[in-house]
Amino acid sequence: MRRTFLILGLVVALALAVLWVTGAGAVVQHWVLDQQRAVQTQLAGAVRALRAGHPGALAGLLTVCFGYGVAHAAGPGHGKLVIGGYGVAQRIALLPLAGIALVASLAQAAVAVGLVGTGVLLLGWSRDRLEGVNEQIMAPLGTAAIAGVGLWLMLRGWRAMARAGGGNRGHGADGQMHQGHLDRAHGSAGHVHNAHCGHAHGPTLDQVTGMANWRDAVVLIGGIALRPCTGALFLLILGFAMGIGAAGVAGAFAMGLGTACVTIAVAALAVWAREGMFASLPGAHGAAARLAVAVPVVQIVAGAGVAAVALSLLWQGL
Amino acid sequence: MVRCSMMAAAVWAGLGTVAAAHPHVFVDTGIEVIFDDQGRAEALRMTWTYDDLFSLLILEDRSMDPDFDGVLTAEETAAIQGFDMAWDAGYPGDTYAVLGDAALGLSGPSDWTTTYVDGRLTSTHLRRFADPVTVADQPLLVQVYDPSFYTAYTIASDTVVTGDPDCKAQNFEPDRAAADAQLQASMAEMAGSAGLEGDFPAIGAAYAEEARITCAARS
Repeated sequence: MRRTFLILGLVVALALAVLWVTGAGAVVQHWVLDQQRAVQTQLAGAVRALRAGHPGALAGLLTVCFGYGVAHAAGPGHGKLVIGGYGVAQRIALLPLAGIALVASLAQAAVAVGLVGTGVLLLGWSRDRLEGVNEQIMAPLGTAAIAGVGLWLMLRGWRAMARAGGGNRGHGADGQMHQGHLDRAHGSAGHVHNAHCGHAHGPTLDQVTGMANWRDAVVLIGGIALRPCTGALFLLILGFAMGIGAAGVAGAFAMGLGTACVTIAVAALAVWAREGMFASLPGAHGAAARLAVAVPVVQIVAGAGVAAVALSLLWQGL
Repeated sequence: MVRCSMMAAAVWAGLGTVAAAHPHVFVDTGIEVIFDDQGRAEALRMTWTYDDLFSLLILEDRSMDPDFDGVLTAEETAAIQGFDMAWDAGYPGDTYAVLGDAALGLSGPSDWTTTYVDGRLTSTHLRRFADPVTVADQPLLVQVYDPSFYTAYTIASDTVVTGDPDCKAQNFEPDRAAADAQLQASMAEMAGSAGLEGDFPAIGAAYAEEARITCAARS
């Protein structure tokens, strides 16, 4: 049952990928564009209503902002790339990955608030200047961080592969166990694997996959958050200019929550597809050994994908 | 391994779409094609109506309409003229004219106007063809798009032909599926070449809305 469910995740993810690649996604993209356009008009109306002091206007603004976040996250974007790519590459559980997605979206809103607060309020920048700083400094920094995540995943996968090879030759078993103990996230599972210590079948799965740590989380969040959405900047600039700055800040975070809904969905899909991929590997008894090979390969491939997209973005921006 | 390579292919093919930005400004576009007395297309008058939010932003940038009554004073109206006409050198104006396979040169903008109605800014400007265009066997195409997709242009009204009763215009929506296929082909082509060097495939036009102007054969 569980295996079937997991494999279904892989099928769903592949189906979505095929839809996207064959262009059937174009219809969806067009629909998304219409939604973005509609919510943009609603946002202007909500800002005006709030400025005019209509009752319930703040709730209306927050609702529209939430919708704006969802609509814009539904299009192409770097947050989904980071969360999806990392979620496939790294055997991270759904809850921590979803947590990273949520924190990253809110941090993205916080960066927008900080950027507008510093640039417009303190330094007196024009909107053009602010957008320039966002495009030419913030965005490349975030993209470079994302490229770093991709390259780091590749390196990690390559190392795990090398370790797996070393383990098969009977070397480095102590080192592997040591690393397993350091792995806080899998502390409890580590006892089970300890029972296998000294066996000749190489490192355990957790050792190969090297669970995510807090440093990964910081880089992932930074990669997403350093690139604030222009929509949030627009709202904040308008809010401060129109004397409803606090509502603008609240709206920016509401946008972040909307964005998080989509990236959390991507996180779930990534985890589901990745486990489905591993579950679909043939052989019950040899599964662990196959995983030891497959996990690093997937890590390298997914890492390369993330790095390639980020580097191409950087390249186009130069 | 098959799955891995499939995934890699999918990721690579999706590069362009993933990397594409999403629009933050929406412009309803109107096109007028102006013919001279010899039946040659000599200029385009473009009309851009901005979305509510961007219009509001432009006014707030300039501290205009402080009472939000949707009406600009005479001074404000004078000051807002040409707000979107200070183009960087080489900026093509998000308007592209094509005859057959040939891209047609267009002048910088002139004769611009700006109005503010119902919370939306509308600006118009004139673009002259570098050389007057004789429209015969092949239709004259006018495409509107921003290659970076920061601004989404939609042709929102019927394209008008002025000065030549023999010519008529029709608007076309892009064939999005075909455009996607073209994008994937371009990406595949790039994947075959060395790395990511060279220009990103110029596929923006394939996604553009366009007006096609045809003229009846002249006797």
